[in-house]
Amino acid sequence: MSLLVFHHRDTEDTEIAKNKKTTTHLRLSSVPSVSLWCSGKRWPRQTQVWWCLLVATACGNDGRIPVVLYSPHGRDQLTLLERAFETRRPDVDVRWLDMGSQEILDRLRFERVNPQADVWFGGPSTIFDRGIEDSLLAPYRPAWADKVGPGGVGPNDLYYPAYRTPAVIAFNSRVVSRDEAPKDWDEVLAPRWDDEILIRDPMASGTMRAIWGLILVRSIRETGDTTRGMDWLRRLDGQTKAYTLNPAILDERLARAEGLITLWDLPDILISRSKGMPFDYTFPRSGTVVIEDAIGLVRGSRHPEAARAFIDFVGAEEAQLLAAREVYRLPARRDLPADQVPAWVAEVESDMVVADMDWELLSRNGSAWMSYWDRHVRGTGDDR
Amino acid sequence: MIRSRRSQIIGATLLLLLVWLVVYPLVLVLIEGVRGPEGWTLEYVRLFLDRPTEWQALWGSLWTSLASVVLAAVIGVPLAFLFSRYDLPGGRILSALVALPAVLPPLVGVIAFMFLYGETGFVSLLVQRLLRLQEPPWRLQGAGAILLVHAYSMYVYFYLLVSAALAGLDASLFEAAASLGAGRWRTLRRVVLPHLYPALGGAALLTFMTSLASFSAPYIFGGGFRVMTTQIVATRLNGENALAMVETVSLTGLALTALWLLRGSQPSSNAAGGRKGTAPERLPVSSRPLRLVLAALAWSLAGVLLLPHLTLLLVSFVPLGTWTTEPLPPEYTLRNYLTLVQDPVRARPLVNSLWLATVATVAAVALALLGAIVSVRRRIRGGRLIEGLLALPWAVPGTVFAIALATAFSVNAPHAGRFLLVGTLWILPLAYLVRNLPITSRAILAGVRALDPSLDEAAATLGARRWRTLRRITLPLLRPALLAGASLAFVTAFGDFVTSIILYTYDTRPISMEILSSLRQSDVGVAAAYGVVLMLVSGAVFALGAERGSAG
Repeated sequence: MSLLVFHHRDTEDTEIAKNKKTTTHLRLSSVPSVSLWCSGKRWPRQTQVWWCLLVATACGNDGRIPVVLYSPHGRDQLTLLERAFETRRPDVDVRWLDMGSQEILDRLRFERVNPQADVWFGGPSTIFDRGIEDSLLAPYRPAWADKVGPGGVGPNDLYYPAYRTPAVIAFNSRVVSRDEAPKDWDEVLAPRWDDEILIRDPMASGTMRAIWGLILVRSIRETGDTTRGMDWLRRLDGQTKAYTLNPAILDERLARAEGLITLWDLPDILISRSKGMPFDYTFPRSGTVVIEDAIGLVRGSRHPEAARAFIDFVGAEEAQLLAAREVYRLPARRDLPADQVPAWVAEVESDMVVADMDWELLSRNGSAWMSYWDRHVRGTGDDR
Repeated sequence: MIRSRRSQIIGATLLLLLVWLVVYPLVLVLIEGVRGPEGWTLEYVRLFLDRPTEWQALWGSLWTSLASVVLAAVIGVPLAFLFSRYDLPGGRILSALVALPAVLPPLVGVIAFMFLYGETGFVSLLVQRLLRLQEPPWRLQGAGAILLVHAYSMYVYFYLLVSAALAGLDASLFEAAASLGAGRWRTLRRVVLPHLYPALGGAALLTFMTSLASFSAPYIFGGGFRVMTTQIVATRLNGENALAMVETVSLTGLALTALWLLRGSQPSSNAAGGRKGTAPERLPVSSRPLRLVLAALAWSLAGVLLLPHLTLLLVSFVPLGTWTTEPLPPEYTLRNYLTLVQDPVRARPLVNSLWLATVATVAAVALALLGAIVSVRRRIRGGRLIEGLLALPWAVPGTVFAIALATAFSVNAPHAGRFLLVGTLWILPLAYLVRNLPITSRAILAGVRALDPSLDEAAATLGARRWRTLRRITLPLLRPALLAGASLAFVTAFGDFVTSIILYTYDTRPISMEILSSLRQSDVGVAAAYGVVLMLVSGAVFALGAERGSAG
């Protein structure tokens, strides 16, 4: 009962299987036309329905070595580094998939038997640690290993920090003046900001989890347990107007002044500002969390040599400066020539107070804390 | 009734195939859910039962889904009647426009709602200014906002399926009813409605399942309102995978119960009527004022339904960051579209989505048709089971199904029926195919049920063999149902988000991932431009489906 008739004019299905492991490039060469037979009395001319759709599945090979990156760093930065690296290494074709750090972990887990990625580029060390538990990373000591750390360096050379990503208090600069903006975590709880805070959904965001962690670690240090910290987060929940699904909606609503302040990471705020969004930020006086954005070699990478070369490149002086200049990434390397580092970096370095954060405690208890927060704190702030 | 050995064999093969595609991956995942580090455990089930928030989420999912069915039916059924039974000015265009919510792309579609009905959206601003309010008139948050989005996007199921069923009515039925002295109301109740039961049941089921599995609306607009889908994601993001599996089982259980209940409400096939004549003509509305009122009502409704699309179109012409607190954008640009065409790497997802959705739709239609014929027409043993399996993917949230497929096909163990597909080109079409089965099979089953079996018998009496009967009798009669199912399935696969996000690879990255990637960069304009492209292609497919479907 074959209802469907495929006319293969130039099908390369078998070649697809063969080429799976080699590089693939778009080439239109297979045009199967699919005809759905629904025929009546005047068959075939009028009642036969033809669905002819262009199908491009064929894979060619332009001879370059493909290096696949899984990265949350976003199109701007990835395109920038892709081009810069390909000029250096014309024999390599850098490809990237842009996704959230949690998604990367999920994908690498599923693909463990058949890894598709070569480099895991970006994400807090807490997530990389979970990747290590599942043996998703291969050791590699990059050429610049001595120039970074010791914070954010993985065990056994499994990952190294490429950038430092601090959390900041950001605000809509058209409505809120710099003087008026909160200068410390506790100040966001002031009545002025009641129902004016937008928060990126903390369950899905490494940055938000780090901020939550900072508040709870502080509570443990001061009182021995998390009660006071959770109470603080409950008050924040009362101030919060909305938890937003993704950074885009956060940006959009902040720009439209549907909320006036948010807690978010510095590079994203600076990039949005450079694109014309009315944003500004302050560093919390008592200290902020700085996420060590890591990079590592994926275990089972198909092109490990090119992948290692890319990792070396990300930490090289040239690429660190490029990322700082163009996409506001705070370099992990501290030995860059001062006259070449863009001015904003120096400004940030002098304004920023780094909190003494117990990352290990967060790694161990993060899940339990977030689960408690989700069940007992989220949405209860207005009841107090 | 034809119940041959060959049908039985075809049916058994189909059954096996469906079990392997639909049930097996889920079972594999469920096993992982109740297996702790040290053997079998019910610890997570206990954890689930102890938490009041889990019960809140389950209840939230249940009642919003029921309410969505009611709302979608209240909008969709009258619209279907209005446009299929009455001849209105511009009726053909209208009937196409009304199906457009189905082509509102994921993610950016919800963002369009924000631009419209959010606190600084222009509908809200308009109402605020008209009523001279200090504060925005409403907040797009909580259960109300979820129901708004659901009703908007899901009435299309009722509209399309009921329209298809109405198109299958025979004019002679009405003549017979009229000559027997039945009034309009009586004809509706005794002739039309029984004919619509399969379509109504199918649409109710689709709506219920879709809203049960709905994720982005509750996630974006839910606020503190809990439903199970967002709960599962929160739990998974937090690394409590086993608990997330228990939550999934609870949601799946709820969906299966609904599936079972709604299936029971459908009459099997005795609603079939002979279709010897033509479809009924559209009735002209004789009274002029009534005609005008109806037309005005229909057009303004279409306008409201089109607002999100227009918003998206508008946003796609806005340069980044320029439109903030103004009611309308201060600047316009073509740059967002140029970005798409200038870079071949960014144009590729469109081609990918096209071929992925085509392959998945064709395969899903074939499987659904085969299932409908062996189950309804040939009445093989196990036919109900086949129908159940075809509908089952709807009972499982898309994310979960994607995870199940990824789990099942991430190892190469042919003797266990598991093949290494993750990371290849074929996992995504396979996932779309499975997710498309309920959509296509609902439409096609409803179509097949409404067929008169005596036509088959007549063909057999006249010496037509089975293939010829299928080709000359069954398929032409089924064409509206086939095309309704196929176009819905194509559009769903074309814009799919929840499955793709887990299973795509570099070579198969679909449009929704490109949209997501642009949104991650806050490039709402580029995302909207891609959304518009997605809408246009989906709209064209719908138009093709509707035109070809009604031409016979």
